[in-house]
Amino acid sequence: MIEMTPAARERLDNYLQRMRSELRGTRAVVADEVEQSVREHIEIALAQAQAPVGATEVIGILDRLGPPERWLGDEERPMWRRALDHVRSGPEDGRLAYLSFGLFVASIVLLPIFGFLLLIPAMFVGRAWVELARDRGEPLGARRWLVYPAMAVVLAFATGLLIIGPPMMAIAFALGPDVESLLDIPTSRLGELRFLAGLGGVMFGSWWIIAGGFCAAFIRPIRFVFSPLLDGLRRKHFAVLAAIGALVAAAGATLIYYRH
Amino acid sequence: MHPVTDLSFDNWMTQLRKGLLELAILNTIAPAPLYGYDIVRRLSDVDHLVITEGTVYPILSRLKNSRLVETYIEESQEGPARKYYRLTARGRDDLHRMNQHWDSLHHAIGGLRKERKR
Repeated sequence: MIEMTPAARERLDNYLQRMRSELRGTRAVVADEVEQSVREHIEIALAQAQAPVGATEVIGILDRLGPPERWLGDEERPMWRRALDHVRSGPEDGRLAYLSFGLFVASIVLLPIFGFLLLIPAMFVGRAWVELARDRGEPLGARRWLVYPAMAVVLAFATGLLIIGPPMMAIAFALGPDVESLLDIPTSRLGELRFLAGLGGVMFGSWWIIAGGFCAAFIRPIRFVFSPLLDGLRRKHFAVLAAIGALVAAAGATLIYYRH
Repeated sequence: MHPVTDLSFDNWMTQLRKGLLELAILNTIAPAPLYGYDIVRRLSDVDHLVITEGTVYPILSRLKNSRLVETYIEESQEGPARKYYRLTARGRDDLHRMNQHWDSLHHAIGGLRKERKR
């Protein structure tokens, strides 16, 4: 063991620590073996130096060895480390896409403690990455699969809320405590079922007409927020929703009319 | 020079160096076994081949993993015991093929350059 000043020893220890961290998890090389070889290299290089070896000599040798972060080719490094580097190395390298995926994974892991709230920033970070890539005229490539999960889950949730949320609340409100005296609900089982189905049809159908019209009016912001997933969305899709709503509402009204 | 050109030239050099370093290491230890520090010193004498000396060690480890080289330890009177690297039979075969391929590539590129000069 070569005698070194505390400063030189600290430099060397830090360097070896960086090297171990960089080589950890790499399958192509044996990290312990590389470390042993590098230690041997340093000891041979310092063999003629006067003890205790100072920081200047050690730094000179470490500089020639170079930063361990540059020793391995990208394809040799573990996938998690490459992903971490992408997150660190700036938007131009797609760190936002990796950040979006990280938030998505965190939202699932933390689901029991309101982790789903992380889906919103995950979606918007992913959306920001899409916009940056478009500004630079770059194709989204395989990294789009890092941002799609968060966007797809939020889109599915928003669609579900839009389709069934308000009518469910309206039905719950309509079937309040004094409902029987107000709405003339039939006493027979069949009549009651017919009434409830009719009420559901009217509520859902009416809402779908309103939602279809509302979304058709604001199609651009909707398309923008959920781009590129909803790039193919057209007003005709909402017209179909409104038409289905009209049919369901009409069927519901008929059932209510013939409830007795 | 245009920065984009600089960047692509650097990238090209890095890729070329990466591929050649393995061939250079195998050729360095082909005549006789050498220890790591000695291999690095010899390669550092070749202009532009080794920019960071540490790069050599992961390659040596990979070559050992691929069973192209093997190691043994030998005591030294001038410092710590040294780990020597030598070619295996398989390493020698692979190196022979790699050198042949390199020669034919070098020859082909030389031919293209001659044609351009005409």
